[in-house]
Amino acid sequence: MALPIQYNIRSVLVRWRSTLSTIFGIGLVVAVYVMMQSLAIGLEQSSANTGDPRNLLLMRKGSTAETSSQVTREQFKLLQYLPGLEKDEKGEPLISADTMILITLARRGNQGEANILVRGVTKMGIYLRPQVELIQGRMFEPGRREVIVSQRLAERFEKLGIGETFKTGGHELTVVGWIDGHKSAFDSEIWMDSDDARSLFDRENYSSVLLRADPTRWNEVTNRVESDKRLPLMTISESKYYSDQTATATPIRFLGNFLATAMSIGAVFAAMNTMYASVGSRTREVGTLRVLGFRRRSILIGFLIEGAILAFIGGALGCLLALPINHYSTGTLNFQTFSEVVFEFNITLPLIIKGLVFAVTVGLIGSLFPAIRASRLPVIASLKSL
Amino acid sequence: MSIGGFILRNAIRNKRRAFLSVLSVAVSLFLFVTLLVGLRELTQPPHDTGSAARIVVRNKISLGNLLPSRQKATIEKMPGVEAITPFTWFGGKFRGEEVLFGQFAVDPKVLLKVFAEARMTFEQFEAFEKDPTACIVGIKTCEKYGLKIGDFIKLQGTFWPLDLNLKLVGIYKGSIDDRNLFFNHRQLDEMPGSTGEVGTWWVKAKTLDAVAPLVQEINAAFSNTTAAVRAETEQAFQLSFISMWGNIKMLVLSICSVVVFTLVLVCASTMSMAIRERFRELAILKALGFRRRELFAFILAESFGLAATGALIGVGGASFLFNQTEIVVNASQNFLIAFEMTPRIMGQACVVAAILGIVSSIGPSLSVARMSVVQGLKTLD
Repeated sequence: MALPIQYNIRSVLVRWRSTLSTIFGIGLVVAVYVMMQSLAIGLEQSSANTGDPRNLLLMRKGSTAETSSQVTREQFKLLQYLPGLEKDEKGEPLISADTMILITLARRGNQGEANILVRGVTKMGIYLRPQVELIQGRMFEPGRREVIVSQRLAERFEKLGIGETFKTGGHELTVVGWIDGHKSAFDSEIWMDSDDARSLFDRENYSSVLLRADPTRWNEVTNRVESDKRLPLMTISESKYYSDQTATATPIRFLGNFLATAMSIGAVFAAMNTMYASVGSRTREVGTLRVLGFRRRSILIGFLIEGAILAFIGGALGCLLALPINHYSTGTLNFQTFSEVVFEFNITLPLIIKGLVFAVTVGLIGSLFPAIRASRLPVIASLKSL
Repeated sequence: MSIGGFILRNAIRNKRRAFLSVLSVAVSLFLFVTLLVGLRELTQPPHDTGSAARIVVRNKISLGNLLPSRQKATIEKMPGVEAITPFTWFGGKFRGEEVLFGQFAVDPKVLLKVFAEARMTFEQFEAFEKDPTACIVGIKTCEKYGLKIGDFIKLQGTFWPLDLNLKLVGIYKGSIDDRNLFFNHRQLDEMPGSTGEVGTWWVKAKTLDAVAPLVQEINAAFSNTTAAVRAETEQAFQLSFISMWGNIKMLVLSICSVVVFTLVLVCASTMSMAIRERFRELAILKALGFRRRELFAFILAESFGLAATGALIGVGGASFLFNQTEIVVNASQNFLIAFEMTPRIMGQACVVAAILGIVSSIGPSLSVARMSVVQGLKTLD
């Protein structure tokens, strides 16, 4: 048993020229697979990463995103007295009304335009989102048309550097600081003062309300909101709101799976070709092994292992090829908020393992028929063959 | 045996290998054209005859901001305007779920003037105009949900704080996207608490020449108001929509190049395998007096033939699948509209196949050229 395996492993190395293209072929398939999936993972993680587990988000009933929600000032006032609302050290309730506005900005390098989410936020709103960190510059001052933007957005869009001014509609906004959302959905946002945003963009109402309450009392809060006729609002945990926004990743996953399937069919054919040729040119060696007393099963397993090793090397190569793209930042359209979402390719260990398993599967399928053929070679005839 | 017959016999001598090579080329080319067709679908919206004369006016801040309805009167008076309709995205849930078909509030009286392509009977149009709670729906959506005339369609507002109960009075077809639902804008205007806002204005110009000045005039007319607008042709509007997809185009193109590269690799290795097997025969041919040029021609013809057969199966299969059947469109649940193969994409795939055939014959040709007859005759494998 041990000999054919060693024989097959060595064969992979000895006939490197003929196997190299197969390895490359499988490697490229795996690379595409890993890249596409890492894109989907990165996108999903940016939504899964967002939100504080103690926070509750309130939106208008029926709305599917903060951008399409409305909360009036009267409603916001009523909400200040909800049961279970936590307070800060000064005794102020931890509740904030945000104003969400979509603005169109130009991408860097003439790459067209995209919608960006502007979040009008209060002091309390900043406090409620500890994930967001000011990394450069300073905080905006209310009333001065100042904004702070995510550094990742600034890398992708024109005129978002600190000190720069950009225009939207008829208004000019000055960037005074950069924030880092630590791979959360806030990495795709521009922040400014909530009331500034309302007056500047002509909004009567706020968009959503974020508050902090003891999770054990969330039911109480929800019941209170639902039972109050003056509050046509719904409550949802902040983390859940964001983690529900992963639908954008579905088409990417679909595309990735489609590509992987189609390309792997091609790769199976290629692997089969190589393995058949490899079996064909070693007919005599196989015959010798059989004469030496090795069983058909051993030959079969040996060739399968050869194919698997071939594919494994290809898979590892593919993962290596995909690796440079890890943490590369990119963006696409989030269907729920209708705005650009910035995220990173994220290659995780389970994904690499999946890629390798995928490669080995391709190798095994590709070498199955050639291996069966090798194990069924008639001994005498194969010894005679040149 | 003729030379053609000789090449053909050689190509299919190892039937299994020829079969596998052709299939792997076919699969790869199929993938290649699918990606290109998909990319075209996403980046080049199908545009119809009327679209060149249509202007879309939206809020300058972004599409997510609304426009005041008073703007209609100003635009209407401009010279060169044939018709103007509000066009407001409703985005309601239907039967409790978010749906792929668009729902738009429009002005039924001018709808036909702005969108001349849609086909519907006159009676249905009349009914749509008369009844403010009426709606018309594209035939594809009707088929998908089994809707017929007289049905009531309940839409639960997500963006608008309003639920609609619309009566289906007309089913249109023949427009570029037979999926959408149109209803009377009065439903939104008369909503309690309405401030009279619309999503976009769609303006039809009288002539194509009037489009460019009209765009300028509309932009200038509102530039210093509280609701500055951006007017652009329908095509420019669609393109700005597409640019929101971000780097998808680059992504798909780079995948395409990876596919092509893999293809070349596989094909080249198959060819060199096939040639290596026959080194001795080629040496004999050389000894018989065949020139290098002729040997090259044999090799080239064989690899070209393999690639061409693969292209025929892959590209032909894809074009049958996309253009003759609606499998892909249906599988995407009408997310994709046309998904059609164009002659251009077919041409691109054929060019790739041709390059493939040529490139993969280079390696074997070189080794044949280098081989000396004696050495070749000695080769056993």
